[in-house]
Amino acid sequence: MSKAGASGAGSGPTAAATQAAHQKQKALLQRVDTDVANIVDNFSLLINVARVNDPPIRNSQEAFQMEMRAARMVQAADSLLKLVSELEQTAIFSGFASLNENVDRRIEVFNQLEGSTERLLEKIGEEAAASLKELETHYYSSVLRTCQRD
Amino acid sequence: MMEEGSVRIDLDKLPIKRLDAIDELGNEQFPPEIGHEEKRLSMIRRIDFSFVVGKDEKQAKSSKETAAAAAAAAAAAQQPAWPWQGLVENLQLAHQELSIIIDLINTVEANDAVAVAGMQRPKPLPNEVLSDLSVSAATKLQRLRHLGRYFKQSSKAMEQQVSRDARFYGSLIRLQQNWKVKRQRMAAIGPGSEGFSFDLLDNSFLDLTALSRPSSISTVRVDHHYSGILSIQRPQKSCRSISLRFIGADPRCKQKSFSRKKVYSSAEHPRTAKTEALTDEDVNECVKDTHSVLCEIHQSIFEEQVFDMVNHETYNPLPGVSVTGMREDFLQLAIGQETSVCLCLVPSGKEDVSQMVDPLGDSQNGESGLLNSDSMELSIVGDDKPDFLKLSGMPNPVSLEIYLLFIFLENVLARAKERRSCPVRAQVSGQPADDSCGVLGHFCMTVAHRIFSNKVLSELESLVNGVPYIQLLSHPTWHSRTSSWSLSLKVPQSVHAARRSKISDDHYLKHGMRSQFHTKVVVKDDQINVSGEGAPSIICSFRGSSSDVFSMNCYGCDLEDLPMILLQQVASQVIRWLHEEALVVGMKASRDFLCLYFDLDHGDTLGLVAHVDPDDINGCISWWVVMDDGSAEGKKLTDYGESEGRRFLGHLSLEALYATVMDLASLCSIGGIH
Repeated sequence: MSKAGASGAGSGPTAAATQAAHQKQKALLQRVDTDVANIVDNFSLLINVARVNDPPIRNSQEAFQMEMRAARMVQAADSLLKLVSELEQTAIFSGFASLNENVDRRIEVFNQLEGSTERLLEKIGEEAAASLKELETHYYSSVLRTCQRD
Repeated sequence: MMEEGSVRIDLDKLPIKRLDAIDELGNEQFPPEIGHEEKRLSMIRRIDFSFVVGKDEKQAKSSKETAAAAAAAAAAAQQPAWPWQGLVENLQLAHQELSIIIDLINTVEANDAVAVAGMQRPKPLPNEVLSDLSVSAATKLQRLRHLGRYFKQSSKAMEQQVSRDARFYGSLIRLQQNWKVKRQRMAAIGPGSEGFSFDLLDNSFLDLTALSRPSSISTVRVDHHYSGILSIQRPQKSCRSISLRFIGADPRCKQKSFSRKKVYSSAEHPRTAKTEALTDEDVNECVKDTHSVLCEIHQSIFEEQVFDMVNHETYNPLPGVSVTGMREDFLQLAIGQETSVCLCLVPSGKEDVSQMVDPLGDSQNGESGLLNSDSMELSIVGDDKPDFLKLSGMPNPVSLEIYLLFIFLENVLARAKERRSCPVRAQVSGQPADDSCGVLGHFCMTVAHRIFSNKVLSELESLVNGVPYIQLLSHPTWHSRTSSWSLSLKVPQSVHAARRSKISDDHYLKHGMRSQFHTKVVVKDDQINVSGEGAPSIICSFRGSSSDVFSMNCYGCDLEDLPMILLQQVASQVIRWLHEEALVVGMKASRDFLCLYFDLDHGDTLGLVAHVDPDDINGCISWWVVMDDGSAEGKKLTDYGESEGRRFLGHLSLEALYATVMDLASLCSIGGIH
């Protein structure tokens, strides 16, 4: 996703934008790396302290450590989630190619809709005219009217 | 302290006086003495009397029944021992030992003379090692379980976060398919808001409404509900529509029911209340509702812009149109001499209901919520013209509203397309707005034309009522400033049948005889044009020749002359038909404008003359027979009195006329024989 954003900006006219996009991409990747490494490190440490030690005092020390490691893992995961949400936003607001494509598609759809609506209206108009003609003919040739004067 | 054997008291068997501390000089410090009374009290408190009390009750019961003291003692001896007795004793022993050890340690620590040479931990027994280990393992397991719970909780929270985000961004992406979403990075972001907004301003209008007010409702803020539901904040005055009304007309006549639909308000969405068990359908519904709200706001922006454009166009003078009233969201136009139209923006949503007192109120506050003295005054002015209250001549205001929106939209689209220099469809569909008078001018002329054409139609209808053998047919022109009708005169079926018995159809075809005659009435703006066939024009009648019988006649006329001209046209068509019929049966007949002459013997002529009078309630066309001996013309028909030479036949139907002509024919033929 970040790549798409980067390439979208890269096709822009200025080199500065490209550079900025590259930097952003790099920063994002770095964040991902840091967070994932954080999770992995903390998890391995957690596994290490999970074994039962002989002196019971160390066990209680380790309990505290475990809690800390777990909290750090959760924090890193949360940071990853935030990153995902950021990427989602970037995807929404920076995918100009897809946005334009979508706009074109919508225009096409609306044009078709306009055409079909116009045809429908024409048809309704013609039907109404035909019905009006029929009703008028019927009325003026009806017994009611011809007898009206008599 | 031992009492009876049956009652056991938990006692401290080692009432050792413990050292609290030993100072550097070797003085031992003891904890403060506990008083004898206190000691006793604490001891008594430690006695478990429940057992004794229970047993005493039992004893009392049994003594009542048996009352044998010896037997009671035996029963007491036989009672089983307390099951925890062994454990208590063991613990007491352990306590004793521990006390000794603690005492020893304290003594050794306090005493310099005694040095600890070496101390060895007693080698734990295998079962002790195992139990230690198991305790450690159990503790660890507990810790791990705790961690597991923590992870589970976090993962649940994160899942919720993910699904919330998915809901929100999914909704946003779906709405982005149709709407322009903007992100305000720098703006002050309130709680629950991500700084997103929908931009509803249509920039194809920008150049046209450059001078108009900036639309405050074009930016709609997006709220991110904590359950992930996307909601929007509906701006003030976001649901208004153009309303058109004829001054003096009863506002209740306007049917608003179909033009306004349900008003959505996503802010107080019921689904946002229930945070749990949000299904996809709920989210779907929310997106749809939001979309509907946005559509409504977009539409009201459009209507506002149209109103502004109308206001803008009134700055240029328009022929026949004058502005007679202008206020915020209100415009009154006088079209022509008689018609007055007011255009206003009225709130149509429920959110704005509080702003308006009576949306469909009586004529006093007909200006729909814009209640002030001006509107009262205007409606009173309208009330002064009671003839306007009859609505038969007025076109439907709702259709005019729709038409106004339509032509402005077409105009804007055309301009937008021009700007894009894409001449695919430069001409708007329907009709191009007349450049000379602008869109508003076109609209006003349309209104005037609709009113005028309604008047023409009512004239035609009353005319058709007066002449039973004419049929009125409407011809939709699909043009707002042109109307067209036709009056058709049909030879009745009975006449067809009668003449078919006499003459073959071929004869009719050979003579080119018609069974239908049409007269067309076309109204363009306020010009009436009548064209008819089958009658010699007045000029022809002056010339005295009837050679060009198939010519079409065209007249331009005004509303007053219309019935007369039409009746003459119809009467001449009847004359023409009778003339043809007479020729077919072999009579010598000639016709003039509204007369049919039969040549009799001796140079006499018998004339059948039509008399037209649009105001005759019995029938608009009546017939006379005029005997002429050749000396005088029989055209003078202003006098109703019958005389020797003329006889009033009455308002005859086509059948009766045909029969009269046939009678005349037979009369002539008899006369010819004689």
